[in-house]
Amino acid sequence: MTSTRQMIITLCIVALTCAIILSFVYAFTSPRIAETQKNLMLDGLQEVSQAVEFVEIISDTLWRALDSLKKSTGIVFRVFPQGYGGSIPITVGLDRDGRITGVRIASAAEGLKETPGLGAKITEPDFTQQFIGKCAPEVQLKNDGGEIDAITAATISSRAVTAGIRRGIETYAQYLGEGYDKRDVFPAAESFREIIRDTLWYALGESDTIGIVFFGVAQGYLDCIKFVAGVDNEGTITGVEIVYSSETEGIGEAIRDQEFLNTFKEGTAEAITGATVSSKALIDAVQKNLQRFKEYLK
Amino acid sequence: MSKWRIFTRGLVRDNAVLVLMIGLCPALATSGTVRDGFGMGLAATFVLLFSNLIISLLRKNIPNEVRIPIFILVISTFVTIIDYFMQAFQPDLYRALGVFVPLIVVNCMILGRAEAFASKNSVFDAILDGLGVGLGFTLALTIMGTVREILGNGTFLGIPVFGESFKKSPVIFMVLSPGAFLIIGILKALINKYVRKEIR
Repeated sequence: MTSTRQMIITLCIVALTCAIILSFVYAFTSPRIAETQKNLMLDGLQEVSQAVEFVEIISDTLWRALDSLKKSTGIVFRVFPQGYGGSIPITVGLDRDGRITGVRIASAAEGLKETPGLGAKITEPDFTQQFIGKCAPEVQLKNDGGEIDAITAATISSRAVTAGIRRGIETYAQYLGEGYDKRDVFPAAESFREIIRDTLWYALGESDTIGIVFFGVAQGYLDCIKFVAGVDNEGTITGVEIVYSSETEGIGEAIRDQEFLNTFKEGTAEAITGATVSSKALIDAVQKNLQRFKEYLK
Repeated sequence: MSKWRIFTRGLVRDNAVLVLMIGLCPALATSGTVRDGFGMGLAATFVLLFSNLIISLLRKNIPNEVRIPIFILVISTFVTIIDYFMQAFQPDLYRALGVFVPLIVVNCMILGRAEAFASKNSVFDAILDGLGVGLGFTLALTIMGTVREILGNGTFLGIPVFGESFKKSPVIFMVLSPGAFLIIGILKALINKYVRKEIR
């Protein structure tokens, strides 16, 4: 018969030893675990978007996609619509016009609960690639008036996917329009500090202010044109981007041309033939705002 | 008992899953594909081997009254270690095995070997026993996984076996739960017929 004291001591020693060993194992593996999980997430995002960098807007749900020049190329979001067997984890990429750049549905190994061989076929490229290039109203099954072919004998799963993606686009599309990135027009800046709410920001370098970024509105031909522009301390325009415009397709919308927008940086911006009203309005508005905010430049 | 017999006993004759019918839950749930079955088997073998080793080392110092909590502590430590390592280096496998990795703790096969063998035998014998029983478990799960994946998905380790047309409409039933019960029943019948003739 062993004494109570001996039992307690043995148990404590064993428990303590186990805890010490585990703390070492944890310290060794935890950075690796965090890295693996981040890579898995990034791989998933890269499958649905051409972008090279993703900036989180809503944790684990919404990202802004940036290309190698840190320009926004659109957004990537995740939705979890209810399918036949459980929720379906879907990752969707959207370009700046709200068209789908890619759809990825998690495999059974990643938590998909649809029936293998039936509902689980929604993960196959034959199904997911149909979505590429579509915009929200087209993302419905053909039976429901859309353009997506359902999977035979898996209508519930297919419909859950289309409904989930459509709802996701409706929810997150707002981040496409107004969700411009100030870095687009001032790539040299490290960060930005707001001076006038939603209108004017200081562009901050490593230690000092290196310019300003402002948001402006011009009266276009059909509708207002919202834009954002950056100006460095010498008064040189570092970039102009259209945030919103709804000019005539193929004519006034030419102001979205990157070539035209680049001429602002060289100071040679001129009205575009065939889109005179829209382009002039934009040029005037950029100049007017520049005069208005000049005092903020050093 | 010869050393060789200690090792081979757990492989087939006293196979945990197919003969003793213990540790059935993970065996049925994670044998849908070869990779999952093999991975689960190796994870359980690792835990069994080291828990047997440590428990056999400590067997003279463990007070009889608290032996079960100590066994569980040792086993759960190794389960947590394999859990972390799998998350770090085999994330796909980890997600496929899901909750069954932490549940190795309560796999009665492991606690059973600790209680019935490791706590009463020398370190070397305990290692042989752990390896034998663990590999027997791995063998059973891998065979089940092979049959279920080939018939139920038309692939072996993800490689198509019968060509694309079969892969399009395989025997889906085999990768679902009923397929697991059917296969384990057939394997048990075969073992009874050819290996354990005396029970007929």
